[in-house]
Amino acid sequence: MFERLLRVVASRWFRLVLVALVVLALQTTLFSQIRPFGYAVQILAVFVACAGATHSVQVGAVVGLVSGLMYDAVLATPLGLTALVCGAVGALAAVLVQPFRDPAWWMRVLAASLAAAFGEALLPVMKSVVGLGGWLQFRIVGVALVTFFGGLVFALPLLTVTRWTLRERIGRGD
Amino acid sequence: MFLVTLDLADSASTSRVRRAFGVVFSPVEQVMRVVTRPLGNAWNAFREYDDVVDENDRLKEQVALQEGATVAAAASVRLSQELLALNGLPTLAGINSVTAQVIGETPTNFSQTVEINQGSNAGIRVGMPVLNAAGLIGKVTEVFGDRALVMLISDPDYALSVKVVTMSSRTPVTLPPLPVEDTPTVDTVLETTDTSSTSSTSTTTTTIKGFTPGTTTVPPEVVAGGASNITVPVASQLAVRETGILEGRGPGTRPIVRFLDATTRASAIEVGAPIVSAGGSRSLAPPDVVVGVVSRVVERLGTAGPVLEIDLVADLSNLSFLRVLLYQPITESEK
Repeated sequence: MFERLLRVVASRWFRLVLVALVVLALQTTLFSQIRPFGYAVQILAVFVACAGATHSVQVGAVVGLVSGLMYDAVLATPLGLTALVCGAVGALAAVLVQPFRDPAWWMRVLAASLAAAFGEALLPVMKSVVGLGGWLQFRIVGVALVTFFGGLVFALPLLTVTRWTLRERIGRGD
Repeated sequence: MFLVTLDLADSASTSRVRRAFGVVFSPVEQVMRVVTRPLGNAWNAFREYDDVVDENDRLKEQVALQEGATVAAAASVRLSQELLALNGLPTLAGINSVTAQVIGETPTNFSQTVEINQGSNAGIRVGMPVLNAAGLIGKVTEVFGDRALVMLISDPDYALSVKVVTMSSRTPVTLPPLPVEDTPTVDTVLETTDTSSTSSTSTTTTTIKGFTPGTTTVPPEVVAGGASNITVPVASQLAVRETGILEGRGPGTRPIVRFLDATTRASAIEVGAPIVSAGGSRSLAPPDVVVGVVSRVVERLGTAGPVLEIDLVADLSNLSFLRVLLYQPITESEK
């Protein structure tokens, strides 16, 4: 029983939850204040995209679902909506780097930034789908651009963070 | 999608999940807030220093201008509240409130919310209206033990029944002076025991049961009909109240008011007319909370009626201390 608990605590998914909590806290504090041109940089979306860009489509999607669900829990959005969008972001980032055999670091950064920007554009669309209209405005372009450039700045350190968070230890039963 | 459906149906289980996560996340967030505060302050200092200096100068000038007006306005408000209370009408003064401080802005680009440092422990519940010193700013949408989320009035999901107070364009009716013989005298109005008149004033001594006899001095023109015209405001010249629904349209875009009565004419609404909450048993806010003023009247073709663009009195981009009215609308308490 105790050994099983230890295995769970040592697993990469448990580590993911802890790291995502810290990234989410950064999002709700520092990055809700720092608003270039009035738009908040979505560091959580960049984090999810980095997970997709460094791992597989499945891992990217799962990281997106978990992180998005946590984001939904602190927002007033319907629970699961941001999870769906972040899942798509993680999967898209992985799909963008898949055609390359050994993508360079800048390709991963670019893929993560593009996927995060796509996610920001997708969120108001999804909100409209579930009946929370009113956000399909021209400002989506500004939001996506700020998130894209924010991704270019923050993706490199976050790639390292996601690699560490999601690394598997052989023989530990992850 | 299952979770989204559950949450949109106001499921209690999703609320419990949020609360449980809030308990776990709150300490992490507080630590992070302390750690990142210097960075945030540095960013604000870098971006906004010049604006703050300009604004400070402008505000000093405005404060000097408004000091006198404030005293007169406070007296009027007090008088108005006394009159409302005297007539048994609800007033804001009769509703308890909790003062809270804004501790966080919305982290997303697609919702207009702020986080405040008071929650259910202070008596705050979902749906309660939130004001700042200027006027209404939104309503409480999520409540945790010691914090709450406030949806701002500019959020597209926010809607509130409001009334537009404007003056009628009809001219008042001016009655000609009444002939002396038709003029009602004080004797016919009051039960009089002794009346003596002089050339300049009419002094009437009245004895009414329960009152100490006193002296009432009435100006001659009122008693005699005199030579003056009497201006009678027709009912339609008094403040006209058009009722409508205020809807937020996102940051940087003015909220609008759509009228419930499509026959409302745009010409009846003046730019600058005040917008206040309509109140009522199913309204999100008590009556007569100041919301804003009409900034533009948009006439629409057909029978759709005009739409008003609103300048909010509260500056939503610079919120610090807020007041949560402990008034829970019936529609929210049912949930």
